[in-house]
Amino acid sequence: MLLSLAQSALPIGISGIEKRFGAVSILSDLSLDVVAGEFLTLLGPSGSGKTTLLMILAGFVRANAGSIKVGGEEIITMPPHKRNIGMVFQNYALFPHMNVFHNIAFPLKQRRVSAAETAGRVERALDLVQLNGLGERRVDQLSGGQRQRVALARAIVFEPRIVLMDEPLSALDKSLREHMQIELRNLHRRLGMTTVYVTHDQREAITMSDRIAVMNAGRIEQIDQPEVLYARPRTKFVAGFIGESSFVPVESRNGSVWYEDRKLRMTTAAPSAGRHLMVVRPEKLRLVADADEAGGVNLLPATVGDVIYQGDSFVCYATLKDGRQVTLRDYCRSDVLAKLPAPGEPITLGIDAQDVVLVADQ
Amino acid sequence: MTKRLCIHGLAIAGLLASAAVPASAADTITVASWGGTYQEAQTKAFFDPTAKDLGITIKQDTTNGLDDVRLQVTGNAVKWDITELGADECARGSKEGLFEKLDYSVIDRTGINPKLVHDDWVGISYTSVVLIYRTDVFGDKGPKTWADFWDVQKFPGRRALSGSQATETLSVAALAKGIPIDKVYPVDIDGALQSVDKVKGHIDAWWTSGAQAMQLVKDGEVDMASIWNGRAGTLKKSGAPVSFSFDQGVLTADCMVIPKGSKNKDIAMKALAKFVSPDLQANLPLYVDNGPANEKAFETGKIPQDRIKDINSSPENVKKQVLQDPAFWRDTLVEATEKFNNLIQQ
Amino acid sequence: MSIASASLNHAGRPDHALNGDALNADARREARGMLALLSPGLFLVFAVIIVPIGWLFWLSLFDENGQLSAANYARFFEQASYIKTFVTTFRVAFTVTGACVLLGYPLAYMLSQLPRRAASICLIFVILPFWTSVLVRTYAWLVILQRKGLVNTWLMDLGVIGQPLPLANNFAGVVIGMTHIMLPFLVLPLYASMKTIDVDCLRASMNLGASPAATFRQIFFPLSLPGLASGLVIVFVLCLGFFVTPALMGGGKVIMWAMRMEQTTSLYSNWGAGAALGVVLLAVTLALLGLFHWLLGTRATGVWSQR
Repeated sequence: MLLSLAQSALPIGISGIEKRFGAVSILSDLSLDVVAGEFLTLLGPSGSGKTTLLMILAGFVRANAGSIKVGGEEIITMPPHKRNIGMVFQNYALFPHMNVFHNIAFPLKQRRVSAAETAGRVERALDLVQLNGLGERRVDQLSGGQRQRVALARAIVFEPRIVLMDEPLSALDKSLREHMQIELRNLHRRLGMTTVYVTHDQREAITMSDRIAVMNAGRIEQIDQPEVLYARPRTKFVAGFIGESSFVPVESRNGSVWYEDRKLRMTTAAPSAGRHLMVVRPEKLRLVADADEAGGVNLLPATVGDVIYQGDSFVCYATLKDGRQVTLRDYCRSDVLAKLPAPGEPITLGIDAQDVVLVADQ
Repeated sequence: MTKRLCIHGLAIAGLLASAAVPASAADTITVASWGGTYQEAQTKAFFDPTAKDLGITIKQDTTNGLDDVRLQVTGNAVKWDITELGADECARGSKEGLFEKLDYSVIDRTGINPKLVHDDWVGISYTSVVLIYRTDVFGDKGPKTWADFWDVQKFPGRRALSGSQATETLSVAALAKGIPIDKVYPVDIDGALQSVDKVKGHIDAWWTSGAQAMQLVKDGEVDMASIWNGRAGTLKKSGAPVSFSFDQGVLTADCMVIPKGSKNKDIAMKALAKFVSPDLQANLPLYVDNGPANEKAFETGKIPQDRIKDINSSPENVKKQVLQDPAFWRDTLVEATEKFNNLIQQ
Repeated sequence: MSIASASLNHAGRPDHALNGDALNADARREARGMLALLSPGLFLVFAVIIVPIGWLFWLSLFDENGQLSAANYARFFEQASYIKTFVTTFRVAFTVTGACVLLGYPLAYMLSQLPRRAASICLIFVILPFWTSVLVRTYAWLVILQRKGLVNTWLMDLGVIGQPLPLANNFAGVVIGMTHIMLPFLVLPLYASMKTIDVDCLRASMNLGASPAATFRQIFFPLSLPGLASGLVIVFVLCLGFFVTPALMGGGKVIMWAMRMEQTTSLYSNWGAGAALGVVLLAVTLALLGLFHWLLGTRATGVWSQR
């Protein structure tokens, strides 16, 4: 069948990209390898340079230095219309003076595909995005979700080896967005094209990606599979950007790590001597009995602040001895509810040795 | 004591006078003319002395011609008490009944050409259409007659004629055929049109205003043209390399009328009488090249001898020129103009 | 909101529905309110547009003796110069409109591609001529274009031409002068419409394989058509009624309709003669606009409805 891109998917080798606007550096010495056929997400706050990188990939923005190789071929100086890269724009960028059919047929027309074949391929592309029979619709007669699908169909109908997506779901409402995330994910699995996806929504990134590159201030902070990224963030920025985190200051000396006067139990080697931060995720904390120091649990004495009931779960804000706030979240099982403390009460929080993650204190 | 009495006496006399005589400083009439330097000259020559003499105020306005009068009269909104028009417009307006009858017991008509004295309009001044040429092109051997102007072999060069004043262009076209000055009227319109037809391929511009005619000659856009003598005189005085004479000029009269429905008809009549009087008429050539309509002006001694030869309506110059006949154009203007337009726009 | 719901009530539901009468009355009250708000505008349109045009039409039906007559219209066919003037008017209007498109489209395109600050500075230069009177500008062109004007003097001094080019006091002069005056009327709506073209649409086009030229042809140009169309119509209609420039630059050889109206109004003693010219121009202009809209409208409906 047509639109089977898996065998032709190509890797992208990005290296040494520099981009400055005047004196402002947007991207500095950025390198990144995208594996053939993978779904890679560039995740970061606005201004982190993720969209600029995408624009450089598509050829709309010229880098100051660097190399982009697609399947070994250098494309950094190639004009956009020769790059053969599909792209889905944030606002879809459908052509308002053309109907759905002609929008999707547009890339085929540029490639001088015969009318008969064009009709067939557009038909199958519409089928793929579940818009059968809407070819004659004008663009302004479509809903947001339908436009999104048309933009997607248009970006893949010419079987590009690479597809770029620039926050394609940000204009949709929440339930449609979640639905489309799964659909896009499935489409990628079926077609297998190398995909670079840009978003600032960490949940979306985690849901869809094979790998996520977290960007901050023009650099890639960490690139990893979603679960690794979440469980083992390597920087304070990544830990803070992905999921909720509290940071507890600890100190490494003599090959051990100390929280105040307690030696931390951990499953990884102690980092270099000095001050570090322990990343504390709300769901990794639990309430423990004071004396219960068995089983490799680290204990953190604290005072209860607010306790907020959220139906399926509750959130407890606690203050450590040094005044730092940490957050604990747990499901409302009856055993947990039974020992739920009252505000102002002293408690002990526990975190398992294998959950201890340290990042540098910048 | 005596002084105060005097003042009282004057005030009472003034009151009595204003009750007895309609004319007083409180009386105001509005006079409309063509504006520009011509109207400035009229102000000094006619309006100011008259206002002083009659003890009235003369307000001024400018006109575009007969359609303005027609608009005011037919619209029952007459703003003007006296207005200037071309003589052919006066003749046509008279036919349409747009003017008040003039009272020739108030206005003394002696000295004014009888062709310009009518029940409801009277001549006020003359303009001439003359042939002007550039001396930087022809030296002093330029075209002197309209036949010369028509002779494109002997006098190569760029030419302009009036496209808006069909009456004037048809008159010079008749002269160009060799018709003597006193035989031009009544104009053989078809013959004159044939004459225009002969030269029209060589006309580079058909001017529609005096300013345009002047600009064409001044900037050297054309080498010869028909032009109004006032404009020609201005050009020459400004030092432009041009030459013109009144030989074969076409003398066109302007006239004044009191629009029908004027609210100050009686004072207007008195003012108009002053305007056409030899004394004030003699003032006009002191300020502008347009000649007085009243030939008695030349007998007042006010006009310097060396100035008389430059004035188009001096007895000497009148002999060299054709006098346009307003009555003739009153009856033929529309048809002649349409035919003229058809011809020059082909 | 309440209009929609109430009229639905009015149309679909029986009146004895809950509060049906009250809601219908409310809808009628609102409709009356709207009418009251609109009425000053409607009255103004009636008083300053409908009435004078009607009066003009009425006047055109009477001859010099005040008799009902078709004489004012018959004249167009009896006198060759009217047809000639009519043809000239449209020739000038078409030529000027064409020249404005040729000059104005690239100009508007350039402006639309400039950074905002540079574009607004350049726009000032486009608008600047608006602040000078048409008369002054036309005289300026006369000085530049006439036989001994700047252009001819330079070209002859440089030896490019041996004889002065006939640029003033003819058709060419009228077209040059009018194009200069009309250009902003084309550029401004065109620029405004080009600014609304989504830059991502152009990027998408190139991304999908269209070269810059193909992108211009297939995307940019069609999307700029609504602006071009409104600019065209404004320029064309303004040209039809133009007076000053042809009167000064045409050398009396390019007589346009408005000049004819002026001539006719002073030549004939009845307003009808000039009025008939006005009526004919209005009718032909409306017919042409209708044709234009039909031609462009059917092709570009999608674009128009988009905006």
